[in-house]
Amino acid sequence: MLSHSALTPFHVVLHKVQKRVAILFSILGDWAAFIGAVLILGLGTSWYMIDVGTPLTTARQGPWVGWVSGGRADADPYTRAHFARLGTLQLSAEMTLTYVAYTDSGGRRLHSSCDYVVEGREPGTNWWSLSVFNDHGELIANPAQRYAFTSQSIAMRPDGTFVVALARDARPGNWLPTGGAGRLALMFTTIDSTAPMLAKSGVAPIPLPEIRRIQCR
Amino acid sequence: MTLRDRLKHANWQLILAAPVAAGILHICATLAAPYLTAASAYSRLVPALPLNKMQVLADITPGAEPLPFLSPDARYALCRFDTSNGPVTVSATLPPDPGWMLAVLSPQGDNVYASASTPGRPTPITLALVPSEEHFLGVTPEARGIARDAAPPIPIAAQRGIVVMRGPDRGFSYRREIEANLGAARCSAAHF
Repeated sequence: MLSHSALTPFHVVLHKVQKRVAILFSILGDWAAFIGAVLILGLGTSWYMIDVGTPLTTARQGPWVGWVSGGRADADPYTRAHFARLGTLQLSAEMTLTYVAYTDSGGRRLHSSCDYVVEGREPGTNWWSLSVFNDHGELIANPAQRYAFTSQSIAMRPDGTFVVALARDARPGNWLPTGGAGRLALMFTTIDSTAPMLAKSGVAPIPLPEIRRIQCR
Repeated sequence: MTLRDRLKHANWQLILAAPVAAGILHICATLAAPYLTAASAYSRLVPALPLNKMQVLADITPGAEPLPFLSPDARYALCRFDTSNGPVTVSATLPPDPGWMLAVLSPQGDNVYASASTPGRPTPITLALVPSEEHFLGVTPEARGIARDAAPPIPIAAQRGIVVMRGPDRGFSYRREIEANLGAARCSAAHF
């Protein structure tokens, strides 16, 4: 250990510099943590609410997610940002409700290497459609040129229910080809001309179809 | 250093300022997002659409989709309008089949007007797109002593945007009928 007599002016200066660098690093560390926290919290929560949505902005039923004020003039900023980023032609949710599913009813990602069955009941007298895309929203090319079924083109069961098979290879009945698409997205659209759908009170939500995975290869 | 020491030496001003600054950034990022994207539906469609003219889109096929998640479950007629040089009139009749719609979309994607078909009867629609609600639409036929033979147009305030008419695709047999209905829709600069 150095005695007081051994402390040269050089050691004193070095000690002062060390102390000041330590203070500077402490301040810089605080600011770096501050900026990091602000960026993660601010941008992260914004991204989540725009991309994924919350119960305030979306209606969820199993794997189906619909943005309840999509296309409306009084839409919230998250909904506006969601559709602007998605680049879709969004018709007013007062008459058109669009639900998108990226997973099956078991929560597993939809993929073209698996076969699925979409089973549901006709939602009242509304016009509706079920379309399949890859997860970028592009149609899946197929020789049958089949990309969607509507309430006017689907083969219904006598009891008012319907079944659609999503598979690479042809299936009997309502078949939507998915070969080679990779990750899939299903879109269910209903149009109701009689009344604003979201303004209805005491009315049960439209029953959306179940998506069951049959097998994967 | 114990936890108590760490808390004692923590910069509480920064810790308290962080959520406030994050909240401000959250609001700014959310509000700016629609304007920062170059891939909105309006910006994608505008280059392919003539001004103030209704155009029936070709079949939506793989590799030729004008927009993502645009299903071939329907056929579309679109009109890009700009009312800065004067009002634009839109007239169309929605057939009495379910699934038909006509909507006026702003560049931000808001539906400033939307109407759907009514089962059992056709729905005639006449709109006057004007730059502001106070815009003078000319002397009415009644004021000129002429009996009006059609419903007066509904004034809609919109500077720019797209008129979308949507007809459900019911299969090959109905294709001509659907195209005829879409083709009958009109969108043009108004003359009063």
